[in-house]
Amino acid sequence: MERVVVTGMNMITSLGLNLSENWENLIAGKSGVKKISLFDASQCQTQIAAELPAAFEELWPNYIKKRSADQMTRVTKACFVCAKEAVQQSGINFDEMDKNRCSVILGVVATANTSSEQNTTPQNLILKSMNNAMSAWISLEYKLQGPNYTVASACASSAYAIGLGYDMIRSGSADVVIVGGADSIVNKEEIEGFNNLYALSTENETPEKASKPFSKNRDGFVIGEGAGVLVLESETSAKARNAKILAELSGYAITSEAYNIMAPMKDGEGIAHTIQQALKNSGTDINEVDYINAHGTSTTLNDRYETMAIKKVFGEQAYKIPISSSKSMIGHTIGAAGAVELIITIQSINNSLLTPTINYDEPDPELDLDYVPNKARKQVVNCALSNSFAFGGHNAVLVIKKYC
Amino acid sequence: MAKINDNTRNEVKQTVYDFFTEECEVDASALNENTNIISDIDGDSLMFLELIEIFKKKYNLNIELKTIGKYVVKHPVETIGQLIDMTMLIIEHENNIIAFD
Repeated sequence: MERVVVTGMNMITSLGLNLSENWENLIAGKSGVKKISLFDASQCQTQIAAELPAAFEELWPNYIKKRSADQMTRVTKACFVCAKEAVQQSGINFDEMDKNRCSVILGVVATANTSSEQNTTPQNLILKSMNNAMSAWISLEYKLQGPNYTVASACASSAYAIGLGYDMIRSGSADVVIVGGADSIVNKEEIEGFNNLYALSTENETPEKASKPFSKNRDGFVIGEGAGVLVLESETSAKARNAKILAELSGYAITSEAYNIMAPMKDGEGIAHTIQQALKNSGTDINEVDYINAHGTSTTLNDRYETMAIKKVFGEQAYKIPISSSKSMIGHTIGAAGAVELIITIQSINNSLLTPTINYDEPDPELDLDYVPNKARKQVVNCALSNSFAFGGHNAVLVIKKYC
Repeated sequence: MAKINDNTRNEVKQTVYDFFTEECEVDASALNENTNIISDIDGDSLMFLELIEIFKKKYNLNIELKTIGKYVVKHPVETIGQLIDMTMLIIEHENNIIAFD
């Protein structure tokens, strides 16, 4: 069986338009959450989000022609730009590859062709709305002729995509799979929709403090825009072209809780099961895990149940494993979250630095693990988990290891 | 059915060149009648339909897209030159282009 390695990656979030800018701000413990600027949110219960920096509007024209841009939504543009830089980092020249063995699998909840989109002509409506737009544009850009599709499993979508890409390479049916996802749901319909589910923080007066995973006073998640794209490659292919290998994707698990459309299974049982399966599938012992990048949404139930699940799986060892939530800084990037957070985890492995859980000012006595509070921490990481859990009971846990 | 004169082909050519210059963000000097619309200048099939709509309005043409579709199946249009030639046929013969085999 082929080993699966990461040879390129990039992310775009509220904290930056490329990987290095994001990393710098994440390590500094900055928040990308601000008052919503993309529409008039003054009548919404939630008036804050982690939007992409305004400079994104100046960035994408460097990569996307006007004609194509008119056929894309904002999130499709973000995904495309993100993919271009990830591929560039990988050093792959697809003209030298068997393009029938190169694929694109993206996790996409929606292309966000909503009221926030402007200048949509009837001719472009379908092209902008179609759920497969992002993977299609990337495949077109590089003329990749392997399978090219989108997987939708809500907030676990891009983690699912990464798992499916892993399978393709592992089984020998692809050499390279571009995986990841993107999301942008900062629009009136979706903010109001999540407000109706009581899922979002309403801490409008101090946006940068609103996302506070694992804290006692957490009051919901903050929506974030984002894109994360990785280039997965077989070890054989990567070595053949002397690529720099960033990490090894060691395995994963995806499960369905079959419990409730919104709430996680009681006491984190479904989450625990998924973590156990991921460890088993990747041949990883609990003592190997040095770090967990948590789903950590800042909602009452997720953070409680995720903590319980980690304790159930790791026992006493759970207290020795640092756990942090990137969502405290970049909000919840929904369909992109799995990819964005895996990229952050790989950065932690390669820089021996853990990103913090910011806004951890009021510990919840019932959540008593090490959440890497407020400040980045130096630590060698050889093996880590990246967790993603979603409405609908879609769970995913990715196991990522230092390549050696 | 529009009246064809010596200037018609030049008008059509100019419209086609202006369209692709704008939509594909290429310099007009990079275009010629052998330019492949998809592989050379990253065009798309929708452009073809948009151009037909422009010419339908400009020359008040009675032509249905399904007629063009049937014609194109037998006479593929890949280059700018082929597009201009087909447009001239449409202007001259409208829905009767289907008779041209």
